[in-house]
Amino acid sequence: MEPTVCQIDDLFPAPVIRPESVSELSEQIRSALASSQAVYPLGGQTMLDVGLPPTRPGMGLDLRSLDQVIDYPARDMTITVQAGIPLANLQQLLATENQRLPIDVPLPDRATLGGTLAVNMSGPRRYGFGTLRDYVLGIRAVNDQGQEIKAGGRVVKNVAGYDLCKLYIGSLGTLGILTQVTLKLKPRSEEQAVVLVSCGPARLESLLEEVHRSRTRPMCLDLLNRAALLYINQQQGLRLPEAPWLLVIGFEDNRPTVEWQVQQILQELCAAGIAAIETRTALAAEPLWQVLTELPYHRPARLTFKANVLPRTVAAFCLQAEELPGQFLLQAHSGDGIVLGRTDKDLTLEQTQTLLNNLQGSAWTGQGNVILLRCPTEWKRKLPVWGAGRGDGWLMRAVKEKLDPRGLFNPGRFVDGL
Amino acid sequence: MVNQSAANLVDRLRTIVGRDALLTSPSDLLVYECDGYTIEKNKPDVVVLPTSTDQVVQIVKVCNECAVPFLPRGAGTSLAGGCLPVGGGVMIALTRMKRIVEVSTRDRYAVVEAGVVNLWLSNHLKAQGFHYAPDPSSQGACTIGGNVATNSGGPHTLKYGVTVNHILGLEFVLPDGRVVQTGGPCQDNPGYDLTGVIVGSEGTFGIATKAWVRITRNPEAYRTLLGVFETVDDATNTISDIIGAGIIPGALEMLDQLILQAVEAAFHFGFPLDAGAVLIMEVDGLEAGLDADAERITAIARRNKAREVRHAASDAERLLLWKCRKQAFGAVGRLAPSYCTQDGVVPRTKLPHILREIQRIGAQHQIRIANVFHAGDGNIHPILLFDERDPDQVQRVLRASHQILEACIRAGGSVTGEHGIGVEKIDFMPQLFTPEDLNMMVRLRSAFNPENRCSPAKMFPTAGACIEPSKAGRRAAL
Repeated sequence: MEPTVCQIDDLFPAPVIRPESVSELSEQIRSALASSQAVYPLGGQTMLDVGLPPTRPGMGLDLRSLDQVIDYPARDMTITVQAGIPLANLQQLLATENQRLPIDVPLPDRATLGGTLAVNMSGPRRYGFGTLRDYVLGIRAVNDQGQEIKAGGRVVKNVAGYDLCKLYIGSLGTLGILTQVTLKLKPRSEEQAVVLVSCGPARLESLLEEVHRSRTRPMCLDLLNRAALLYINQQQGLRLPEAPWLLVIGFEDNRPTVEWQVQQILQELCAAGIAAIETRTALAAEPLWQVLTELPYHRPARLTFKANVLPRTVAAFCLQAEELPGQFLLQAHSGDGIVLGRTDKDLTLEQTQTLLNNLQGSAWTGQGNVILLRCPTEWKRKLPVWGAGRGDGWLMRAVKEKLDPRGLFNPGRFVDGL
Repeated sequence: MVNQSAANLVDRLRTIVGRDALLTSPSDLLVYECDGYTIEKNKPDVVVLPTSTDQVVQIVKVCNECAVPFLPRGAGTSLAGGCLPVGGGVMIALTRMKRIVEVSTRDRYAVVEAGVVNLWLSNHLKAQGFHYAPDPSSQGACTIGGNVATNSGGPHTLKYGVTVNHILGLEFVLPDGRVVQTGGPCQDNPGYDLTGVIVGSEGTFGIATKAWVRITRNPEAYRTLLGVFETVDDATNTISDIIGAGIIPGALEMLDQLILQAVEAAFHFGFPLDAGAVLIMEVDGLEAGLDADAERITAIARRNKAREVRHAASDAERLLLWKCRKQAFGAVGRLAPSYCTQDGVVPRTKLPHILREIQRIGAQHQIRIANVFHAGDGNIHPILLFDERDPDQVQRVLRASHQILEACIRAGGSVTGEHGIGVEKIDFMPQLFTPEDLNMMVRLRSAFNPENRCSPAKMFPTAGACIEPSKAGRRAAL
């Protein structure tokens, strides 16, 4: 039996309804509106920890029955699907045409496309392939009046009307419920390889700088600290070098290009006096991609943060984070300035406040931020879950008030309690 | 405007920007009466040319106090009337805000003021091995601010994406004069992607004064191929097969027979004048893999009955080929005194169908139509040739344009891939969107531009749920 209640932080038990069609979903929205109930959209519930606790009672809407493939014109390299489709199913279908959505999504058997969009999930290959906003061509969503509205279209280039797609991506379900999505696709790469480079703290920045100047064009520049490497080796048996830091340089392209890049980067690093190198190509690289995708979310940690900083400050930021209490497992998408840290240590609230303040201070100097993807519910009202407020908060509030004036969707959970 | 308050408004604006940065004489205003869409014209009452965000803020505040509409303008190269001053008012031309403020190749961004010309930025970055990827054909004149407003594309969008994929943040003056920074140099800022939704809003949300843009490393090398085909069908099948084979070329551009004649007369590249269509097919990236891709593309073209596949032998030849493509519109003057270009999009596989439709519609209205377009994206640019002195021809061109765009909608596409809705395509919005869809968009606009004083009468039809000013200010140029 499917559970008929759900828990979102301290909202428990919330009744869960599973609409079987868009019209049933619309009906639920209208009835919620009539009874002044809030609605909490649910996909695979893999990221339900993200955000502040709900501020109003309401019901969970399980959207996993809306999982149909509407149209897959493979030769146009687009697909239109309902948003409840699990990522694994989507990728399997695309693989039959040698295509894919090049977004790394953890727990793909459970994670739905709608949920993936709501949290704007991304992973190691974002450096080469970009993020979801680069792939969503059109959407349908049920709005605050229970109407199904659309924006964008099904063609790869389209500037008719406002691009509401951008607004919905990463909006944590606070503006409406995504029902259908049209995606732009990519061909699967002919070849892939990862080059592993270990390094001590003193040379971390010069290593990143060296790779930045390389003639090669990596798709991934992920950095892991020793704690992360130990965890990966223990949990996944990958036998990664247990160095203080490991840089994973990933390549994807046609075979000659990948082969050339691997040789080239090895030469460049050797010339710069950087050794301790290992290369894994083709299928041998696959488990590592998976680990890099799952690590920040694998078995929910007690505390998980995500920082967005300038790429040139990643090394310093990581070194700073490692010095803090908590023995964080750190992973950085270093080319994009994204640093993820997780810990299961019993930090106190005060310790956590202090360390967040420290990290926030560093991120802020480059206009970056630090948010909490996960922490104990009782801390959420005391910690800056969504980081430091930026100057555009009032405009975000204005958008929310215009598109969801009665606070129907996921009330209280997003930035600034939107 | 009432004369007295008008004089007062002009005085106050002059105080803000200075005498040299304010235009009111009819001859000066003539330049600003339309953009690249010349079918409708209307002069603004006054043009101001601010040099700073602070001046823009002051101008906007004065406009509000005087209850006068205003709108931003870049270089005026837009093609759908996006900067047509409907109902007159104050035009804020941003061309004097042209500083490149900062470049960080390590972090892959640059900060530019809105009036920086697209190509200047790429030229500026050249020595460091970087460029700004979106490259509309007007890139020698159009501004980044204008690109932001229209979400411009260009020939290289197939691989590199359109403007929105390259904008990280904006400094934005809201229509009430408040300044906000959305996004910035860091990615993944918490909260709504306001930057993403402002891009392409065609000036109806406010005025972008500064942009954080992504910069892209230059490709190490190119292979530029010219495929010569007897028929348009063979050329379009080649496009589908290239993409189907998993190759994403940097560009895939098609020129049909009529446009080839004009381009050849202008640039003497050596195009075969009897070909049904030619394809410019370019792969770029690291030298190591390009020959493999070029060989596969050549084989695919041959399989689709290409008469000939030529390789650009030198960088000079490649640049000449691109000059022919990017300046094709300029060469059209050799075919007819006036032209009107359309910007429809269809799924790539529907290209043969839509090109046949275009031919049929042209014949029906006795209008010659040339085609040069971004074939890889399915983004067509039929060029309708006419003489604007003949009102009958003008009417036929408008009817034919309309039918072409309707055919695009029927084929599952859109009426604009990169030019925007502006005033030209407002009437198509109800065909693409339901009243509920449009109402959501108007609600969103009201968060930014509640009084609709900035760029009024754009993008949305007057009828329906929202109250829009009338079109009284629009004057046909016929």
